[in-house]
Amino acid sequence: MKTIKTSFDEMLASTSPAIQQEVSLEFAISNRIYELMTERGLSKLQFAQALGKRPSEVTKWLSGQHNFTIKTISLLSSFFGETLISISK
Amino acid sequence: MSEAELRLVKAAENCTIYSIQFLSEDESEFERFYAKFRDESVYNEDFERLLNIIGRIADFGAFERFFRPEGKMSDRVCALPVLKSRLRLYCLRLSDKILILGNGGVKATRTYNEDDTLKGYVITLQNFDRLITEGVKNRSILVTENTIETKNTFDI
Repeated sequence: MKTIKTSFDEMLASTSPAIQQEVSLEFAISNRIYELMTERGLSKLQFAQALGKRPSEVTKWLSGQHNFTIKTISLLSSFFGETLISISK
Repeated sequence: MSEAELRLVKAAENCTIYSIQFLSEDESEFERFYAKFRDESVYNEDFERLLNIIGRIADFGAFERFFRPEGKMSDRVCALPVLKSRLRLYCLRLSDKILILGNGGVKATRTYNEDDTLKGYVITLQNFDRLITEGVKNRSILVTENTIETKNTFDI
């Protein structure tokens, strides 16, 4: 099969490094929350109810595009008993 | 009707990404979307986010939670939105490991149906979805776990 003429990797490389980092972090956090939620056997609705949130809020968290606040990350870390983000020296 | 073929955008471990190219055009639908927004100032940041979202989808998989359903319940058309932006890229999500990118634009109306251009992009994908289903049935298209194998030219 033929490939597109413009390399997708080149398209990506031309984007802002800050945006690359931002999207990468948002996806990483979102995927980790999804993993922890499924490991605990929680549906989206159960997860939302356990945290006193609307299911639409959980949908946003799992979309890979949510700009998480420290407050939300702290809430989720506390709920799962696991640090979601660690800061290296 | 216009003749079109599939083009490979990126083959990654967890997702293979394709686009559709009309034979009357020099570029695939995704490249036409790229050409439209790469130098556009208002939506440039959203557009760059969208490119990176596609990059992460290639790495992790085209999971349903990353998309918004569009089209009809009976098809696999979805939109890749940028949250808090009106920029949309329309896609066909065949599975967690196969994604076909279409064209997109700025959704300035309440639904895509109210915008003839966006509606046209969605209809193209709906028709392509139907042709893939038919092709799999008549065995002119083989859809494996993470690839689409075909030499077909499609009449969309």
